[in-house]
Amino acid sequence: MADILDEIRSTVANLGGSARLHELVNTALSQGIPVLDIVEKGLRAGLQDVGSKYEAGEYFLAELLFAASILDEAMQIIKPRLSAQAMHRSGRILLGTVRGDMHDIGKNIFRMMANAAGFEVQDLNVDVDPEIFVQQSKQTKPDILGLSCLLTTALPEIKVVIDMLDQAKIRSYLKILLGGNAVTKEFAREVGADAAALDAVEGVDLSRGLVK
Amino acid sequence: MMTPRERMRNAMDFRPVDALPWAENFYVETVNRFISEGMPADQISVMDWRMEGSLLLNWPAFIGFDVNSYFECINFFGCMVPVDVAPIPRFKQRKIGEDSKYEQFIMESGARTRIVKKGSRDTTWYAMPQFYSFPVSDKKSWDSYKERLNPEDPRRYPKDWDPEAYAEVLDQYQAGPTLLSMTGFYGFGAELMGIPNFNLAFYKDPELIKSMAAHWEYFTVESTREAVEALKDRIDMIFWWEDMAERHGPNISPKLYKEFLLSHYKRVTGFLNKNKINRIMMDSDGNTKPVLDLVIEAGITGHWPLEVNSGMDVRDLRKQYGNRLFLVGNLDKREIAKGGQPMRNEIDSKLPVMKEMGGYVAGLDHLVHVEFTFQRFREYADYIKTKLSVE
Repeated sequence: MADILDEIRSTVANLGGSARLHELVNTALSQGIPVLDIVEKGLRAGLQDVGSKYEAGEYFLAELLFAASILDEAMQIIKPRLSAQAMHRSGRILLGTVRGDMHDIGKNIFRMMANAAGFEVQDLNVDVDPEIFVQQSKQTKPDILGLSCLLTTALPEIKVVIDMLDQAKIRSYLKILLGGNAVTKEFAREVGADAAALDAVEGVDLSRGLVK
Repeated sequence: MMTPRERMRNAMDFRPVDALPWAENFYVETVNRFISEGMPADQISVMDWRMEGSLLLNWPAFIGFDVNSYFECINFFGCMVPVDVAPIPRFKQRKIGEDSKYEQFIMESGARTRIVKKGSRDTTWYAMPQFYSFPVSDKKSWDSYKERLNPEDPRRYPKDWDPEAYAEVLDQYQAGPTLLSMTGFYGFGAELMGIPNFNLAFYKDPELIKSMAAHWEYFTVESTREAVEALKDRIDMIFWWEDMAERHGPNISPKLYKEFLLSHYKRVTGFLNKNKINRIMMDSDGNTKPVLDLVIEAGITGHWPLEVNSGMDVRDLRKQYGNRLFLVGNLDKREIAKGGQPMRNEIDSKLPVMKEMGGYVAGLDHLVHVEFTFQRFREYADYIKTKLSVE
């Protein structure tokens, strides 16, 4: 059992290609390996290896996107056999780019990576009014609210959202993760966010820590 | 005393200068802000007597704002060789939909965007749109798009194109370098497919990437050939737009750069070098360090804007790459925008060292963004001008 899971993991980690991954996942299923093990010990473990390679400077954006893409395709085989709860064991993230900022590339890459890592992500898109962040946070009760901001001119919007969340008294169950080129860790501390990610991989790592 | 053009040329060639060249470029929004805060519009307005429209009548026309002359800094784009390397014909830019907050457009590139409605908020047309669809997604759409990238299309050159006459006109310009603009293959592909899809295609559809890269090389060389061969003595530099990196690093790995880009780049830069054009400056934000060895091997000889936020530092780059790369920018926009001591510290920590090391053009590590007040930029301009002179 460990052998095939290791092979799935290394196929994701080494960008072995979609067809090979499908074959391995189907073999694992036919061998009766628990679906959750295939997901966690095979596919998602491989994705974590990809993240480590990215952080180490061995992989770059193209590799991240490709790994997330082949993993997503493999998940389509598994999906029918997995409950929604098991699909998204890692936690739930509400995500959006703050008002006044229409950038979405970094946010979308984070969404892909977080999805692949087992988070359920609700994406509110770009230029999101602070009231919408608060309303959706109350309604859907995510574990994490991800606020993305690329424009320095839009940075004050992050503080507006956080102040409104404080006023609505929902910070007790909600962690706030910042991302985007304008954001720094120092800024996150200043505005009272829980963490700031400098890239999508760090964002997923931080998300894992925030929901523990 | 050297002209700004001579200063730029010498700096890019690692030859002595009487003062460091200082170059900046401004967002339109920033210019609007500066004017609203007291920059005298009448002193920066550029007017010209032209024959406009269909009447046989010369009329004073408003050309734009010349902010660079006002602050006495060089404008990269002040003098461009007029070759049109965009798709011809352009897509007709038009509105294709709207709701209460946004309008959707097809842009001239064929991309579809969503833009905040003008007047609905404190925003301008410039405010970055959200690109939600791109004209190329697969071989079929690429083959169709390629029709618009015909280098032989006569519309790529002005109706009055006459190389000798243009050389004479260009020669009158001494306020900065004369540029020929090119788009690097990464910038080209990302613009046509969007960054995520373009990056994915290196793995999912390498044949498409190879086909695009081959056509890019042919198109880039052949569309500019006439200008390059005729104006080679007058073209001071190639502005090679790439935008291939973000804060963490380049979007594509050295492996992919080597496999898909390098040979094409070498042939394009080889064509330029054969025509004695050796100053080729890559414009890319972000941290490009992991691919810089390959960028240099590809024939790129300069780099702008060297974002501090992404870990770029002119002093380290100079030590690492010596005279193989002239460097432009790298003054941290965040520190400079603070004014006062942080601004002075940023300039004092880099300019003296770079004067010693050579091959440097001073400037911010990005275009001048709207966060700068007129007062702060003037303070920066006043200070940096006292620090440019080379003893």
